[in-house]
Amino acid sequence: MKVYIDEEKCTGHGRCAKYAPNVFRLNDEDGYNADAGKTIDVPVGEERNAALGMKSCPERAISVVED
Amino acid sequence: MNGSSPTEPLDQETTPEALIERFGRDLVNDFDLDDPVFNDRFDETLNFMAHKCPVVHSKVGKGYYMINTQDDVRAAAQDWQTFSSAKGYMPNRPDGLPYLMPEESDPPIHTRWRRVLNPHLSPKVCAGYEQVVRDDANALIDKFIDRGECEFISEFGALLPGWAFFKNVLGLPIDDLAMLVNGVEEGTFALDLAERARNFGEVFEYLDKHLQWRSTQPQRGDLIDTILAGVTYDDGTESPWEHKVSILVDLTFGGIATTTFVMGSAIHHLATNPDQRQLLIDNPELVENAIEEYARFFPPVVALGRTATADVEVAGTSIKEGEFVMLTYACASRDPRHMDEPEKIDLSREGIPHSTFGVGPHRCIGSNLARIELIATLEEWLKRIPEYRVKPGGEPTYVTGFLRSMRTLQLEW
Ligand code: HEM
Ligand code: SF4
Repeated sequence: MKVYIDEEKCTGHGRCAKYAPNVFRLNDEDGYNADAGKTIDVPVGEERNAALGMKSCPERAISVVED
Repeated sequence: MNGSSPTEPLDQETTPEALIERFGRDLVNDFDLDDPVFNDRFDETLNFMAHKCPVVHSKVGKGYYMINTQDDVRAAAQDWQTFSSAKGYMPNRPDGLPYLMPEESDPPIHTRWRRVLNPHLSPKVCAGYEQVVRDDANALIDKFIDRGECEFISEFGALLPGWAFFKNVLGLPIDDLAMLVNGVEEGTFALDLAERARNFGEVFEYLDKHLQWRSTQPQRGDLIDTILAGVTYDDGTESPWEHKVSILVDLTFGGIATTTFVMGSAIHHLATNPDQRQLLIDNPELVENAIEEYARFFPPVVALGRTATADVEVAGTSIKEGEFVMLTYACASRDPRHMDEPEKIDLSREGIPHSTFGVGPHRCIGSNLARIELIATLEEWLKRIPEYRVKPGGEPTYVTGFLRSMRTLQLEW
């Protein structure tokens, strides 16, 4: 599974990394998603955590990318 | 009522007659954030609006709309070009009140400030305050634990956020805190608008003096120095002194006028729901999730305002350029289209899509600090005072406008 993090929408709530620390990383300096603007791979077995992180993002900044 | 009470019927009419009979006023066409009925029947009103009223209108003063569904709140909050913050966040703003940066500004001015301020309140920096916040929580508990009772708000809930921000982040003396807390409270909730303005004025003056004093001191590389250094706006001008003062005022308002309500409400909910208390004592790893659920259900920021910069339509209601619009974060966090049984508190709820810390570029800059204060409060309180209850007659009292706050809560153990 791949997900895209919209740079325009991410405003640094940090919920994604709380629920799925093995999928989403926050930028140390400002706490925004470190991969904002990119598409990233969700490691196998992390799909559920990733989904919780996506659901908790108040900005709906993360979306699943169809392969 | 609170989340433990039986849920009220949601399948009710929204005709003016039915609303007047039920709430004493026509909520859809004649809402009033400052109506005492809203304060007294807060949960019932929010639940009702979240289910039934995507947009309501208020005739108070110059009038304002309230946007209530999560999708519409998110869309408006993210569309800062159409829903501008530059004309202020409060409806019927008293004349002459200076605008507060960064809250009452739009990009790119807003972006300039957030870029330099964010690093001082990032998750990483806030994690560094965690131990001292826990120590502070324990120092407050030490003062009353042997007494077997306390008034939670004045002895804990109104103090910890002030200590966390003023003492720990800003390095300010806590002796002056009482005056600031009172100034912010009265500036927000005083019924007389002139009284609100006077209280705001006092807070401005105090913080202006503090900034002036710091500008004569050796630099510490802290948040205050960042504010003093200022930013360069896109037109090449340097941020003026008034903007710097207003940044500190805005942070102060946010830092002390909000977290108390989530704290008090969580502690009250656990006082009245021993099974939930035991759940957290037995499963401390649930505390972080519980904090999100409490923040969802007990929103200190009921709604914040924007000004429409063009004619727009929201959920079938047309809003004209120049009209004032409140984003009802409190309703968005109870949207039944996005969660099951939003009117119930469920500490094990998975993936909590709430809007309590706002949405869009103005996302609460203090959210990381607030979360640490809340986690420290629940964990340290339950360690020290695992068995406690509301003192007979000491039920919580509230005050509500576009913010909601708890005024008193008597506990005993
Ligand atoms: C539970 C506690 C808190 C809640 C629920 C809360 C809620 C909010 C909300 C909803 C906004 C969005 C404003 C908008 O949409 O216009 C906001 C912004 C803000 N908050 Fe908080 N807040 C809390 C704690 C804090 C703390 C502890 C601080 C300071 C350390 C703070 C400082 C601010 C500031 C400065 C802004 C303006 C940000 C901007 O406009 O860019 N807040 N807060
Ligand atoms: S939860 Fe959403 S807004 Fe927050 S950091 Fe993650 S992607 Fe960004």
